[in-house]
Amino acid sequence: MSLARSGDAWKVGGLIAVLAIALLLPAIAPDPATTNVAVFTVMYVGLATAWNIMGGYGFGSYTLGLLLARIGMAGGYAPFLIVPAAGLATAALALGIGWFALRTRAATFVIVTIAFMFMLQLLAENLVGLTGGGGGLSYPVPPWGGDYFNTPFYYAMLALALLSLAISWRIRRSKFGLGLLAIRDDEDKALAVGVPTRAFKLTAFVISAALVGMIGGVYGYYVTYIYPQFVIDPLIGISMVLMVFLGGLGTLTGPVLGAVILEPAQLYLAYNYGASRLYLVFYAAVFLIVILVLPRGIVPSVGRLISDRRARAGPSAPAAAKAVAP
Amino acid sequence: MTLVLEAAVLGILTGGVYALMASGLTLIFGVMRIINVGHGALVVLGAYLSFAASRALHIDPFVTLVITMPVMFLLGFGLQVVFIRPLKTDREALSVLVTYAIALGLEGILGYVFGANYVQLQAWYDTASFPIGDFRITYVYVFGFVLCLAILVVLFLILYRTTFGASIRATMLNRTAAQLIGIDVDRVSAVAFGIGMATAAAGGVVFGITTAFNPGSHYDLISRLLTIIVLGGLGSLRGAVIAALIMLVSEDITSVVISPVWASFVFFVILIVVLLVRPQGLYGVRVRERI
Amino acid sequence: MRTSLRGALLSVLAMVIAACGSTAPTAPAAPITIGVSVSQSGDFSGDGKALVQGYDLWAQDENAKGGLLGHKITMKYVDDTSSTQQVVSNYEGLITRDKVALVFGPFSSLLTIPASTVVARYGYAFPEPAGGGPHVFDRGLTNIFFVQPAAVEDNLVSYTKWLTGLSADQRPTSVAYATQDDPFTQPQVDKAKSLLEAAGIKTAYYRVYPAETTDFTPIALNVVHSQADAVILGTQLPDAVAFAKTFIQQHYNPKTLIETTGPDQGADFSNKLGTNTEGIMVPAGWTANAKAYGNDKFVSEFIAKYGGTAADISADAAEAYSVGQVVDEAATKANSIENAKLISSLHSGTYQTIQGPMAFDSSGKPQGGVGVYIEQWQNGAAIFVYPSSVAAAQPEYPKKPWS
Repeated sequence: MSLARSGDAWKVGGLIAVLAIALLLPAIAPDPATTNVAVFTVMYVGLATAWNIMGGYGFGSYTLGLLLARIGMAGGYAPFLIVPAAGLATAALALGIGWFALRTRAATFVIVTIAFMFMLQLLAENLVGLTGGGGGLSYPVPPWGGDYFNTPFYYAMLALALLSLAISWRIRRSKFGLGLLAIRDDEDKALAVGVPTRAFKLTAFVISAALVGMIGGVYGYYVTYIYPQFVIDPLIGISMVLMVFLGGLGTLTGPVLGAVILEPAQLYLAYNYGASRLYLVFYAAVFLIVILVLPRGIVPSVGRLISDRRARAGPSAPAAAKAVAP
Repeated sequence: MTLVLEAAVLGILTGGVYALMASGLTLIFGVMRIINVGHGALVVLGAYLSFAASRALHIDPFVTLVITMPVMFLLGFGLQVVFIRPLKTDREALSVLVTYAIALGLEGILGYVFGANYVQLQAWYDTASFPIGDFRITYVYVFGFVLCLAILVVLFLILYRTTFGASIRATMLNRTAAQLIGIDVDRVSAVAFGIGMATAAAGGVVFGITTAFNPGSHYDLISRLLTIIVLGGLGSLRGAVIAALIMLVSEDITSVVISPVWASFVFFVILIVVLLVRPQGLYGVRVRERI
Repeated sequence: MRTSLRGALLSVLAMVIAACGSTAPTAPAAPITIGVSVSQSGDFSGDGKALVQGYDLWAQDENAKGGLLGHKITMKYVDDTSSTQQVVSNYEGLITRDKVALVFGPFSSLLTIPASTVVARYGYAFPEPAGGGPHVFDRGLTNIFFVQPAAVEDNLVSYTKWLTGLSADQRPTSVAYATQDDPFTQPQVDKAKSLLEAAGIKTAYYRVYPAETTDFTPIALNVVHSQADAVILGTQLPDAVAFAKTFIQQHYNPKTLIETTGPDQGADFSNKLGTNTEGIMVPAGWTANAKAYGNDKFVSEFIAKYGGTAADISADAAEAYSVGQVVDEAATKANSIENAKLISSLHSGTYQTIQGPMAFDSSGKPQGGVGVYIEQWQNGAAIFVYPSSVAAAQPEYPKKPWS
């Protein structure tokens, strides 16, 4: 992975440009309507990268909300400092759930984690004394005005998204990541060659839960009021899965691209065409077309397209092709 | 005590409807190895078709099945050909996305055509009941249960007593091998999808006559149906039927004995315990496949 | 009583006409847009449609008389898909991107609460028709105005007054309660329970059920088994219908049955129960035949615009229309449509609506109004039966047997 090849130079340049835009966005586009969409988009970048569906998001929201209520902390910057506690609590929960759920595999594992998610939702609804039940849980309201309000949340979400990406990138290049890839390809073979599959899976599960829990906490603080049925919701998981598949499963940039395309599109469509009731149809149609035309997701499909073109252009192409489509 | 018994009877009667809806879903999974997340929306579509037909033609909702079942069969056949068949790689994962998109599209179209208000199928007997011992049984639940039973029996007969059923079962066991012995797997898949939709139509009538529904009703439905077929074992018809009964009976009994707020909690506990002991579900076959 | 009310209304009407007259000579002001996030898809989509009808009708009336203080009105609706995340984005977008002059509220407390903090951040007034749960008012915001006759928890108070006011031999001795765990339904049922228990009426059954429940029959069977004289249910439309159907099937006919929502939704309710709506009650701030300010006009115009009959009109639409009325009167009083002036103006004085007169306290809770009435289905229409000052008929008690 040397940076000598021109393709990699382009990639590094592109990365720096994207990062610069992301960091300067509130200055480039200070309009609150835009930064609001940016907060949610960056949030989904983090969620799609962390890839966790056990309801850790909602658990993180509730943890932070309840902590703030117990401490009696007022709205402002301070609550952001408590966010890691929400991540820790969610990680602890994931350790427990994962311990059980990871005895199962594949589709069954998915359903078991979703079942745990529904149980969390029911607990949040039924333990009225602790959570407020279906009436919801209130966060302190930050004192910032409309023009500035979104900015701290944007940077908090961006920091968590970058953290998710950095961890994901680091894991890819480690023995641990190699083991996870082996498990993904064939768990039995991985076990046979000595990968401690259960420990590896549990570690991955706990890390992703911690990230998702922190993101959920920031979300709760941002919308200032949460309900069990909205923050512990299978639809959040579904949006996340859609984004990953749209962008490309198993790539680093895929989930980012998926989130950056889908979340603004969804907010925009509901905002502008929701009144005609046909936006769902429109959204579904775009989706079907993308899946049928680019079944592997955008990043791998485009990567293949480029490599095909290079293959036609010159004999040295195969090496480049591998570099483009990881 | 009568209350518990009553709840159990109710659970069995309403469980029949869920058994029917889940059987279509599990059949589709068995044959094609795809999870049809749009199944709930297709049940709702079936309910709306019956609603429109019974209104327009002034006929009993159950009679509308003569129209809606063939229509839904053809629709299912078409959906499979247009949207599922082109999926060559990552079928299981991509099918979830495609069928979710179908569900959203249907929700949008139904909202556009019928509006978002709750509707319910009407029949003269939907509030009538007859006494048995201490309690009263409602006709509409009995009719629904009998219909579901009849269709399930037909489904079993098709699967186990016809040549076509044999090719469906062969495809369920091993797709590649079935192809090798000359079974037109694509056609079998499309027909199986069609059959799944026809059962969705029938399930939709019973659902729509006992419950007020709107285009958004499919979210609740599909999450219940998915947990049913996972508990029963993906691809197992028998499992789907048993699991549906377990779900409804356990929920209804919890609801009357403890509290409605814990009803689904108890079901999820059962589900998790079963899956930890038997990850393949009650009647599932353990398949070594990666997702 | 009736005549004095009419007299009061006439004088208010005269005032309003006078106020309109005084602004008429000025040149027509710039047209404005009013933004609303409504649920066009998802759980609340049925109510979303009714809100749009009510708001549209008000805008049409307003434009017909020259606009809001001379500003021609365009309504802009965006869909919140019944989700909190979308509703937050929507009000952010309406205010900062579309720069609408005013915003009105969405459906339900669930969406009103997150939306209200966004709206408050920009200093906009937030008159809203459907967010009346206790938490709407306990967040320290001063821009909310809940345009219904009473805070949600007080919805069943007149009903309990009526029950406890019955003569001793008529009074029910036991009540069964069941309610969704929803911030709209549960507080009112709980308050009714504590009031009736204090009056010595015993509780035969009390259960809360999740809002996601789709099969209500087991809960309904429990109510049937309690054989209570009175049944109080915290419902939305689907469960309101389902409970009634199970009661009919089980031949259980309580002396009185009241449901918090559902029976107030006109044809959407009656076309599912037919003649069996007879005797079912609902707490309602509005009814088609009420003699409230501008109500006759609202009803006749509604039918002209959307078809159907008076019985088809959803209370949601009337509540949305009232939001417009309140804003119009506040703007006239403040002689401005600036949000800051509207907010301070709305915190004082009494406003006339098709739901009757109302005022707002500092948190936006309706105050000093006439409270919520009881409406009962009689001969295929829902009419006010209590209190007698507004009643179009005597309450039918005990409820007639199911047909």
